Amino acid sequence: MIRSVSASLVAFVLILSFASCSNNDPAPVPLTAVTFKNLVADPPSGGYNPTNGQPIGVTNKFTFFSFSTGALVANADSLTTKWDIGFRGTTIIVNSGSSANGIGNAKGNTKVQVLKDIFDNITTAPDAGYLSDNQADNKKPVATSYAIPLGSGSGWYNYDRTTNVVSPIAGRVLVFQMTNGNYAKMEIISYYQDSPIAPIATTKDRYYTFRYIYQPNGSKSFK
Amino acid sequence: MVIALGASFCTAFSQASNDIDSLKVQQLEEIVITATRNERTVGALPMPVTLIKKDLVKTMGSVRLNDILTEQTGLVVVPQVNGQGSGIQIQGFNPDYTLILIDGEPIIGRYTGSLELSRLTVGNIKQVEIVKGPSSSLYGSDALAGVINIITERPKNNQGNLSLRYGTNNALDLNGSGSLIHKNLGVYLFANRYSTDGYDLSPQNYGKTVSPFRNVTLGSRITYKLGTKTDLIIGGRHFDEKQDYSFDVLTNANSVRTYGDGYVKDWNLNPVITHRFSSQLKATGRFYTTQYSTNTLLRRAKDDSITYTDNFHQSFTRYEANAEYFFNERNILTVGAGHIEEGVSTSRYNDQVERRQQTDYAFFQHEWIPIQKLTVIAGGRYDHNSIYGGQFSPKLSARFELNKRISFRGSFGVGFKSPDFRQLYFNFNNQAGGGYSVLGTEIIREKLTGLQAQGLIQSYLFDPALIGKLKAESSFAINIGGRAEVLPKLMLDFNFFRNTIDNLIETQLVAINTSGQSIYSYRNIQRALMQGVETDLSYPLNDKLSLSLGYQLLYAKDRDVIDQVNNGEVFWRDPNTLVTKQLKPSEYFGLYNRSRHTGNFKIFYRDKEKGLEASLRVIYRGKFGLGGISGNIQGESVPSSDRNNNSILDSYDNFVSGYFLVNLSMAHTLGNGLRFQIGIDNLFNYTDPVQVPNLPGQLSYVSISYLFSKQIKTNN
Repeated sequence: MIRSVSASLVAFVLILSFASCSNNDPAPVPLTAVTFKNLVADPPSGGYNPTNGQPIGVTNKFTFFSFSTGALVANADSLTTKWDIGFRGTTIIVNSGSSANGIGNAKGNTKVQVLKDIFDNITTAPDAGYLSDNQADNKKPVATSYAIPLGSGSGWYNYDRTTNVVSPIAGRVLVFQMTNGNYAKMEIISYYQDSPIAPIATTKDRYYTFRYIYQPNGSKSFK
Repeated sequence: MVIALGASFCTAFSQASNDIDSLKVQQLEEIVITATRNERTVGALPMPVTLIKKDLVKTMGSVRLNDILTEQTGLVVVPQVNGQGSGIQIQGFNPDYTLILIDGEPIIGRYTGSLELSRLTVGNIKQVEIVKGPSSSLYGSDALAGVINIITERPKNNQGNLSLRYGTNNALDLNGSGSLIHKNLGVYLFANRYSTDGYDLSPQNYGKTVSPFRNVTLGSRITYKLGTKTDLIIGGRHFDEKQDYSFDVLTNANSVRTYGDGYVKDWNLNPVITHRFSSQLKATGRFYTTQYSTNTLLRRAKDDSITYTDNFHQSFTRYEANAEYFFNERNILTVGAGHIEEGVSTSRYNDQVERRQQTDYAFFQHEWIPIQKLTVIAGGRYDHNSIYGGQFSPKLSARFELNKRISFRGSFGVGFKSPDFRQLYFNFNNQAGGGYSVLGTEIIREKLTGLQAQGLIQSYLFDPALIGKLKAESSFAINIGGRAEVLPKLMLDFNFFRNTIDNLIETQLVAINTSGQSIYSYRNIQRALMQGVETDLSYPLNDKLSLSLGYQLLYAKDRDVIDQVNNGEVFWRDPNTLVTKQLKPSEYFGLYNRSRHTGNFKIFYRDKEKGLEASLRVIYRGKFGLGGISGNIQGESVPSSDRNNNSILDSYDNFVSGYFLVNLSMAHTLGNGLRFQIGIDNLFNYTDPVQVPNLPGQLSYVSISYLFSKQIKTNN
């Protein structure tokens, strides 16, 4: 059983990670999964239009997150390498390829792959198979595709057309290879505010809760 | 109290038959036509067949077809996906995989795939024949799970019947029928009017679970002897229904009080001419034309403005010729060929253009009796359709009589279901939640090109060029069973079934628009497996009292999910601890809306001399999972059973608990043709407003009927 680690622990883990970085000591510090709750990914302030289902009052801006800091990154920094992933509705981008808008050294190169496994069972990041946005699977007919595939059943979530509920597919783990060469793994747990057990169509959506482990020392190990 | 409960009168139908109820006579009369298209005794057939005769229907006090079917072993009445009405599940197949016929001709008008069974009154039914297992070798498309054939009354003697039944919810059922035979002419006329106030399982919400409706059914059957060797039968039906809607439409927590009307209409005409060329050759020509239409108009109560309109019109016409040739007692050949024209026009395709398709078909069937104890039937049918192309459906079955007490039967067959008009031409935008569109395979490319030109496509997730012509869904089925007299008079009927289904049509996500909404179409993707066993034990204690016990064990699974689970690719996330675990093969329950265990126990009492009848029927439906149901008409959302983020039904999900229904009836027939009946359906008032909205609570009724007849000696 993994207990959700609250945000207060984020700082603690970060301190541990910095410690291991600075003194170059290979003595392994056990990594602990961190749970980030309620990442707000552009929820519609006015709900959804009852006639066409379109969201009302959205900004169409991504919410950025950095694994190395364990914190959100301001949207103003979208042209930097400060962020690793961005969330907007069910779309998740990584800071690479077509999603990396920085120029020169500011161009991000965070790649990702989606594994079918249990979060805890992935003790080592794979050597290869990481994708940038825009160069995903050739099954996708149009080049505007993402490293984390869009759409129900193809990437990280299922959408039930009858209940209108989005559920993160159990056993989908996103493994990242970041611009700084470090690795992280992540499991999305909920798409709804405060991750209710049984969300319904009217539950506030576009609130991500996810757990992750960031390995700051450049190794592929998540232990 | 009893009066309060049973403030109802009802009628069963005509007290028409003069059958004597001894078992022997019953056996002799158990003639069915559906299994082979020719008249055969039930017991001699090599495939599983259930026969429900009028007497039994009368004793049960049923008024609509779903009342009868719900009490049969292996048949499960399930709610339709839109939460309104119900359809029948056979061997685990969804309702749209069973072909429903009246006198051998298909009933059209499947609202959301399945046919609304309450459209059919039982007042003019002579018997209902149910053939399980694919019968596409004789009937073509849709006969994948089986065939239900409703045989209506024919002109018999000069007689008439009037009946009235009144029950809970102001349900009033009126029947009148008359039969006349004069020389070469026979006429049977039938009229039924049924009305009800509907019912409300969620009184806290405005409006009713089932809205009030009333309908009228007119039926006729005219027989005429054109000569000593030629018979003409003309069947006809007219049905008209009006529904009174009033409810709150809930979209994204906005509630709009709405009222309106719904109309349903269908009619058919079916002349059949039969000529016996010789004692060996009989030929039949059949023509059948039918139309079905619905119209719905909803208005906002606040200002009477129209909020929703919907219309749907379907037509079906068939020409068929067939012949039966008796080579000798041991070889009988049946051949036939026909042509079908079908059309649909509806507002749901965003235009009123009529979409048409044609089918040409030919079939044969050979019955061979090499030795007295063995019957072998081989047959096949080829259908060629203008949309899905060719489809061959063979079937081989055999029956072997070990001795007088034990016989075995087995059948192997292919069934298919053609893509329906919705899958071809649907043009639908969901108006709730996140929103999405579904586009039929015949229109999607054109629509996507248009959206792309407007810059509305964010991303393609599936190559639209791969959305091609849909193939028919098909199934290979094995049914192996038998009948044995295990103890004196104690009969056991059993049947193992295994249906391997391919090319099931499922929605395919094709693209995402710039608002992040999904655009779906259809593809032949899913593969399924439905297998199990069905057993029936029947025991006539004496000539008045009989007991029966039925049970079905069913495993209905998605074959792709089975593979994924075996490969360790399926997981589940505990909703409380949020810990993810791998799903074990034994933990995959199967498809939604299927109960692993269903059964029934019935006691029938009939004393013909005293004119007394009584019945007690207990129906059981075991636990099942809910998915793909879009909520009931009162706007309550129906939660999916899946609660652990893998979109499949496993042992950790929420199940709808199993339930029992207990139905009682009693009748007394007086010598002068008067018959009184009382009954209570769902005695213990089992209801589940959200998950089983098709089950009204306790229903009691009273009925009275009168049969008048004047026997005239005829040459008929």
